[in-house]
Amino acid sequence: MLSLLQVLLSGIATGCIYGLVALSFVLIYKATETVSFMQGDLLMLGAFAALGLHLQAGLPLAAAALLAVIAVGALGAGLERAVLHRALGQPHLVAVLLTFGLGMMMRGGVASVPAAAQEVHALPFAADTLAIGPLVLAASHLWVILATVLLAALLAAFFRHTRTGLALRACSEDARVAALMGVPVARMHTLAWALGAALAAVAGLLLAPVTFVHLNMGFIALKAFPAAVLGGLTSLPGALVAGVLLGVAEALAGLALPEGVKDVVPYALLMAALLLFPQGLGVRRGGRGGV
Amino acid sequence: MSRVRGVARPAALRLLPWALVLALAMAMLALGADYALGKATLVATYAIAGLGVVIVVGQAGQIGLGQAALVALGAYAQALLVGAGVPPLAALPLGALAGALGGALASLPARRLGGLYFGMSTLAFALIVEEALVRAEPWTQGAAGMAVGAFAVLGWRAASTLEQAAVSLAVLALALVACHRLLRSRHGRAWRAVRDDEVAAAACGVAPAAVKMQAFIVGGALSGLAGALYAHWIGFISPEQFGLVFSFELLMLAFIGGARRLAGAAWGALVIVVIPQLIAVLRDQLPGDWARAAGLELVLFGAVIVAVVLLRPAGLAGGSARSDAAHGDGA
Amino acid sequence: MRFPSVLRFFRGALLALSAAALPAAAEVVGDEIVVGTVSDLSGPIALLGVPVRDGMLMRFDELNAAGGVHGRKIRLVVEDAGYDPKRAVLAARKLVQRDRAFAFIANMGTPVVMATMPIIVDAGRLHLFPFSPHRATYEPLHPLKFQNFAPYQDYMEAATRHMLSTQGYERTCLLYQDDDYGLEVMKGVEKGLAANGRELVERTSYKRGATDLSSQIARLRAARCDFVVLATVVRETVAAMAEARKIGWEVDMLVTASGYSAQTHELGGEAVEGLYGVSVLPHPYAEGANSQLAAWIERYRARFKAEPNVWSVMGYTLADLFVRTAEATGPALTVEAFARTLEGMEFTRDYFGSPSYRFTPQDHLGNRYGRLAQIRNGRWELITDYLQ
Repeated sequence: MLSLLQVLLSGIATGCIYGLVALSFVLIYKATETVSFMQGDLLMLGAFAALGLHLQAGLPLAAAALLAVIAVGALGAGLERAVLHRALGQPHLVAVLLTFGLGMMMRGGVASVPAAAQEVHALPFAADTLAIGPLVLAASHLWVILATVLLAALLAAFFRHTRTGLALRACSEDARVAALMGVPVARMHTLAWALGAALAAVAGLLLAPVTFVHLNMGFIALKAFPAAVLGGLTSLPGALVAGVLLGVAEALAGLALPEGVKDVVPYALLMAALLLFPQGLGVRRGGRGGV
Repeated sequence: MSRVRGVARPAALRLLPWALVLALAMAMLALGADYALGKATLVATYAIAGLGVVIVVGQAGQIGLGQAALVALGAYAQALLVGAGVPPLAALPLGALAGALGGALASLPARRLGGLYFGMSTLAFALIVEEALVRAEPWTQGAAGMAVGAFAVLGWRAASTLEQAAVSLAVLALALVACHRLLRSRHGRAWRAVRDDEVAAAACGVAPAAVKMQAFIVGGALSGLAGALYAHWIGFISPEQFGLVFSFELLMLAFIGGARRLAGAAWGALVIVVIPQLIAVLRDQLPGDWARAAGLELVLFGAVIVAVVLLRPAGLAGGSARSDAAHGDGA
Repeated sequence: MRFPSVLRFFRGALLALSAAALPAAAEVVGDEIVVGTVSDLSGPIALLGVPVRDGMLMRFDELNAAGGVHGRKIRLVVEDAGYDPKRAVLAARKLVQRDRAFAFIANMGTPVVMATMPIIVDAGRLHLFPFSPHRATYEPLHPLKFQNFAPYQDYMEAATRHMLSTQGYERTCLLYQDDDYGLEVMKGVEKGLAANGRELVERTSYKRGATDLSSQIARLRAARCDFVVLATVVRETVAAMAEARKIGWEVDMLVTASGYSAQTHELGGEAVEGLYGVSVLPHPYAEGANSQLAAWIERYRARFKAEPNVWSVMGYTLADLFVRTAEATGPALTVEAFARTLEGMEFTRDYFGSPSYRFTPQDHLGNRYGRLAQIRNGRWELITDYLQ
């Protein structure tokens, strides 16, 4: 029973990271209808940026982390202005390939730094554990869960109570109507990319103490896609919840099901959900159907 | 018709394919025949697999993110059959069949899903196939991979690169002819009808789900065929070779070449196979520590993809959107 | 309407083919010896590829600065295949044809090695010391294939037997990476257990790039294992140990040579204290190094602006084996003469603390043995000699 709880908690923490990456994906998709296959690379870039700023430039960890998130967000905005806005209104595959190509460039760029290609790195977060009765929690897992809850609350407040958030939402619901109402749609697209990229970077920072920082850490995005789809592709809370669900399902499958099943659980779940609920599991309020 | 295309494409762009051929010929002179023929073998094999993507993505308009899984099915079918003593030539159609069956299976969700949702289901399909190949250890030797013998017909072994290139190019030619006829048939028209407007197609009595499945069966057969050849040329297959990266390579291939035209697969394959090699040759010329930078090739390759998608959205073989419309259904 | 462009493609291809009439040239030995390597600098095992390449570069640079082998300089040409056999096949052909590589050293990754090995030996080039546990790299005997990495199966069998006999474990379990590496280790551990009349109590796997190992560790704990063998790489080794310690499970663990790295204790800290590992080559610690090793570490740091690790030593050693064999072969260097010379070579233990490598006409596998080490006070301490 205890080990079940223990594994459950780890599953939730991992699921939160899936959820955050899925959230970043959905945020972009919802606002701009472009599919980003570079969220994993942005995540990796965020972690490496923080690492470089902390170890090479000597900034305090918190400042380095903050700066890294801002920098990756700015990169997202810059890429949107320079390249990605061209994918607007094009078939999905245009954005898929553009982002895949950009992701390759990011991976290549990081791999060109000798120290990055050669070693796995650790961000000096506390590696403590916390005991609650017989239950032991890794500090890193607690951080992940707390940060995710906090971020979700912040985002909810942003979308509900700020003018910009409302405008972004309006733009996601119907860009044409939003434009007619005076929402600067182009600027909103840039903002969505900036937010999406920054969120991925945050996920990278949170993942750093769990898996360390290395070139292939972005592969976690492969689990985030199923989460995004399970959540319905257009629902932010849905993406987060689906991410956590996947993390938990995976962990429990690893504990209880026959060897090897664990690795297909996310995709099998995705297949099942797609076939049973073609509109996604997320809570949709009005707006659009499938695609 | 070609007049229309000529008008639509500036001379510089029309010359682009020729420049590539020239580059290849020069690479051959510089790098040697064996190398060039080895490259031609891979280009042709990629092109066959790419034809599958052209059918699924370019003709039927579906988002397929897991084409490499169909290549894998063909490769494994071929390896297992040849291992069991079936002559490679006789096994080829069965390899294609394995791909076709996989394609049929992958297209099932299309009955209920459209667009990106369906695309994601193909992604999931590919990852499930990869895992299944790992788990089918008694037959596939799992993640350890399995060796595949040379391609042979009645005692003749395609051991040299020249013979391998000849076989691949011959199969590619056959595949191109078959596809050409298919595209002009009722099936081809139905694919394009579904691609352009599913609702209108349905109103005209075309059943979109069945049409999508046909496209996946044909596309899967082509990719499976390519996989069967691939197994012989590479000589060693393991599930991880057919992962997401391979699927994306095939997508890029179709896009770079031009997903709406059959020749696009061939041009795209040429670019996808040649560019990394050109980059490697260029890199050798760089001074000092630059040549040591590990990620340089990735950066440049990514840049090429981005540039092509931005500058030449219809691909190298495709005309502009206008000339494409002018070609209409008969194209 | 499609045919013109299709035809154009074939015309182009034909044109290109006709330009390629020259047959493959046999290797030429002028005043330069070209050594090729199809490495992984950007894929899943780039963490090995980069230091191995740098180690080789360093040895060859030193040799060239000292005048070369019998007046010939050695040039290392590196191709990055990123673990992808498709790229590797073309890279190998380029090295054979364009660069006229005399030998290939340290090709990396089983798919890459298996796809390129036939091309290389069919062209009559040497295939030396690839990074792959596959037996085909040295068995059956082939005049051009040589290997010097102790096979996981052999040394893990010996290590398992040793651990069982000295510590008396009763319930051995395995956590393995789900690929050819993990499967090789499993076979070795099972053999070692069978020698003691035991079987694996529980085994569980993870995929390369897995995020979280908590369910695997919980599973092993539920099986009440008292000894866990890890077929993991650095990151997963740390994760497995940290997870077990976190939940208060003080079980003994043994990792293969793939987890024997200074990074394991640098990243793992307290959590990996007491971990056993198999070493096929000691890590080059600057602290407490003998004078030769200390000087070597200084040179490496100065050249590459990075700390050397066990893989740098490995690359350096492989290049050194090549250089010494080329020297012993004499001025008339041919592939055939090199291979026959290598078959009579015995490389004794050096200042790195490597095992001795020995090749014979009947046996092209230079080493079968590893030794046990344990992390004590934040560094690997060797606790046995090479286990026969």
